[in-house]
Amino acid sequence: METSFALTGKGYVIVAADTTAARSIVKMKVDEDKIKEISPHLLMAYSGEPGDTVQFAEFVERNIRLYQIRNLYPLRPSAAASWIRRSLADSLRSRSPYSVNLLVGGYDTATHEPKLYWIDYLGTQVDVPFGAHGYGSYFALSLLDRYHDPEASLEEGLATLKRCVDEVAKRLVVSPGRYKVKVVDKDGVREVEI
Amino acid sequence: MSIMEYNGGSVIAMVGKDCVAIASDLRLGNQALSISSNFQKVFPVTDRIYVGLPGLGTDVTTLRERFRYRINMYTIKEEREIEPETFAHLVSSTLYEHRFGPYFIEPVIAGLSKTPSGGVKPLIAAADLIGCLNFAKDFVVAGTASTKLLGVAEGLWEPDLEPEDLFETISQTLLNSVDRDAFSGWGAVVHVITKDSIISRTLKGRMD
Amino acid sequence: MNTFVERFTTNASNGLFCGNGAVEEDEEFSDAMWGSEAGFGSLARGVPSFTVPSVSDPAAFLRLHTDDHADPNCKIKIQHGTTTLAFRFQGGVIVAVDSRATAGSYVASGTVKKVIEINPYLLGTMAGGAADCQYWETYLGMHCRLHELRNRERISVSAASKYLSNLVYGYKGMGLSMGTMICGWDKTGPAVFYVDSDGTRLKGDLFSVGSGSTFAYGVLDQGYRWDLSDEEAQELGRRSIYAAGHRDAFSGNTCNLYHVKENGWNFIGNYDISKLHYDGPGDVAGSPGHGYGYDLRVEGRSSVNAPEAAPAVAAQA
Repeated sequence: METSFALTGKGYVIVAADTTAARSIVKMKVDEDKIKEISPHLLMAYSGEPGDTVQFAEFVERNIRLYQIRNLYPLRPSAAASWIRRSLADSLRSRSPYSVNLLVGGYDTATHEPKLYWIDYLGTQVDVPFGAHGYGSYFALSLLDRYHDPEASLEEGLATLKRCVDEVAKRLVVSPGRYKVKVVDKDGVREVEI
Repeated sequence: MSIMEYNGGSVIAMVGKDCVAIASDLRLGNQALSISSNFQKVFPVTDRIYVGLPGLGTDVTTLRERFRYRINMYTIKEEREIEPETFAHLVSSTLYEHRFGPYFIEPVIAGLSKTPSGGVKPLIAAADLIGCLNFAKDFVVAGTASTKLLGVAEGLWEPDLEPEDLFETISQTLLNSVDRDAFSGWGAVVHVITKDSIISRTLKGRMD
Repeated sequence: MNTFVERFTTNASNGLFCGNGAVEEDEEFSDAMWGSEAGFGSLARGVPSFTVPSVSDPAAFLRLHTDDHADPNCKIKIQHGTTTLAFRFQGGVIVAVDSRATAGSYVASGTVKKVIEINPYLLGTMAGGAADCQYWETYLGMHCRLHELRNRERISVSAASKYLSNLVYGYKGMGLSMGTMICGWDKTGPAVFYVDSDGTRLKGDLFSVGSGSTFAYGVLDQGYRWDLSDEEAQELGRRSIYAAGHRDAFSGNTCNLYHVKENGWNFIGNYDISKLHYDGPGDVAGSPGHGYGYDLRVEGRSSVNAPEAAPAVAAQA
């Protein structure tokens, strides 16, 4: 099953998503990147219905880029998340809705605040200090209630993420093998290893 | 599982003496899994009107945005603030516009309307998800804990409560009702609207 | 007529069972109740008997009226939703459970005892059908006592759990619903067995059962070590039940904590989960001295990372 996690820390957001692309009982690919860098300080982890995920992520990516080209500045994380949410909410009542769950993590360069939004395929949006999608969330959320620290350094944040990954690997029946981990902070977006 | 219970949450409004109160819980869940303990469902419309939107989470946000837009347009066109009665009908017609594919929200409206003599008259109303209005003289309830709220409110509410007493009554009603509902709770917020001020308080509730 | 009914209608002739829905007075006590049936207790006459509805397929009939996944409006709502956990460690066994019972979204009770004290050395936990667990674990207690009388020694946890497992396996497919942990201390030391109504029986160090079990595991696995001190272990049990009560809508209200040692079980305490959230467990061994709640723990801590140099530069200018 698909699983994604994200957590904030002192001046950064870590976003992690598993890298398996499955079809039926088969793993089609084991190194799929399911986290898009949608603007210089914005990351989006997506999961859900195969096909919808990439289509929707690219639709978001291009529209956010279009805004930046037109206005010469990018959307701030809260505005981007609201726009993405509304796109999903409108899509929900269309003929063929996108079934995509998102974790939108960004660094607000104006307030120096790392922001994280949990958005589901219905268009439900909440601002959270940490979030997760998929069956992994049933193990990770209680763990993060216990171990998450908003002032954690990046090393400490990654150690907490490692706990989530290990816990899901230990307890979930069909647990994902590998995760791609990306960080967004004042310097922008980069990939890290755990 | 019903779509109205998917995210959980409840709202109640009560009438007092020259004041009204509206309160809601703060939970947002995904069925049994609680996601957020800070999900607001009650929003200010004008200085004297609040609207509560319990139901499906995505529609809470969408409808809030829609109402904000329509209220702003109304204020600009009419060059005055909307009255609670008018707002109630705006809510109703907004919902009925989606008669065959409704928003899964049962709105609760609480406000003070102006009387010709310069005083205020409390008004509360609730609507079903396609906009059937229900104006009540005492209290209105909606959300996953509505059955429990109705029972407790029936026992605790009395006419002509002063703002502080109304606050106590609505708080106790909400807190004790959501404790008997698995899908509501995780904190609460109360607004008491009086002629010259609005008292907003966040309550400590059970967190389980 | 289905085999289930046939099995019981033959029994009905000896007065132990009332078939076809007719309610008759049972014999006051059958001989089997006195445990004198060649060491087999009441099992000599087969398992205890129950009245069944007079329809061709009683199991399906029951399912029709109780299965609220298929039909949320069904008349009988069997109580479900629970978090229970038990783990073995150097100092014995910790057993911790919540106390919420829900019927649909209604919190029917917040004071359910989900630990069944089978005897001074054995505890059973309760998840799934409340009545099923209560009845069969009490029944198990009866047979554990008979075992003691017959064999002049206490039953092992392994044997007791096997007994229960075999009992419920006999009713497989008839709608029993239980997920239980049989915990205790015997000649082999501390022991925990997971037994459920499918007939699964597992020996292990650490189990959690119920709708909130995943949340409990999240905290439990991360804090678990074999060489936990008694205080640390009790705290871990409490903290894990809190985690589940907090995140799972169908768990909560209070936490009951037990510690099984060499000389039997001890009831450690009953803790209000909301109190644990805001104030912590209070003045008890292993208490962190503050509330477990996330918002309380991180109060005043912020992820905002404003550059420190900025105000200094402004001052210079």
